[in-house]
Amino acid sequence: MTFFLSGGAKCGKSGLAQRIALSLAGDGPRYYVATLIPTGAEDQERIRLHLEDRAGMGFQTVECFTDVMDCLRYADPRGTFLVDSVTSLIQNALFPAERNYEMDPEGAMRCADSLVQFARTVDNAVFVSDYIYAEPVQYSASTEEYRKILAAVDRRLAGLCDTVIEMTAGQPTIHKGELKL
Amino acid sequence: MILIIGGAYQGKLDFAKEQFGITEADIHTCADGQIDFSRRCIDKVEAFAACHPDPIGYFEENRAAWQDSILILQDIFCGVVPMGAENRVWRQKTGRLAQYLTREAAQVSRIFCGLEQRLK
Repeated sequence: MTFFLSGGAKCGKSGLAQRIALSLAGDGPRYYVATLIPTGAEDQERIRLHLEDRAGMGFQTVECFTDVMDCLRYADPRGTFLVDSVTSLIQNALFPAERNYEMDPEGAMRCADSLVQFARTVDNAVFVSDYIYAEPVQYSASTEEYRKILAAVDRRLAGLCDTVIEMTAGQPTIHKGELKL
Repeated sequence: MILIIGGAYQGKLDFAKEQFGITEADIHTCADGQIDFSRRCIDKVEAFAACHPDPIGYFEENRAAWQDSILILQDIFCGVVPMGAENRVWRQKTGRLAQYLTREAAQVSRIFCGLEQRLK
């Protein structure tokens, strides 16, 4: 089973994604795909809080910054994967640190294709993304490119996943499939 | 009239094409304060609202012209109140127009990640 969750900031999508992943995993292996490249103390603190959140849930953490298929070199594809977040993967790929954050749309497309292939390959996956499309703001060209690419991969994953959920203030709206916990 | 709303890049126009057989020739894309209601599908109504001083008044005056139209309007209503006065006014005018159009519409569909959520 595959799930796609999106919503605004602090709407409870990560928490629900964890509960879904635990429910899908049963007694099987469960993996948390860590996507954030820490760049300072603030990120380290965020990571520490996320680790605390997941303590005792039995997740193995697999670090993956751009190509999510890489996870399968270490992890069992029959397991359950929590990918939090799609946003972060696309950001890492579109603005690669090793190219001094210069925009790399082709790299982002490879990242998007890898996510789609991953969704088709593993038994269970929960993808978390961010809904950043409803603001009256004129962004810079590079930010606009980022929104466009993220939206395109969101749409591909939403088309592919069994269940699609939008979170609003902790409340799920089911756009496709069903949510049973 | 059918109103399709949703955030940027969510697949609103693709939905109109798939559901209602809209082709490129049927589409008027707003870029200023003018709308060509002879086209079946009016895209980027929010851009019209940005440029017209009284968008609701314009729609009321031309009510007969858009009764069978498919209107596409981008959701620009989240986030903090914009710093610039121009964007604040744009969001308010567009929001009021969206409410007027949803009252008038026979069908309102919101598109989220390419999926339809029927609001009316």
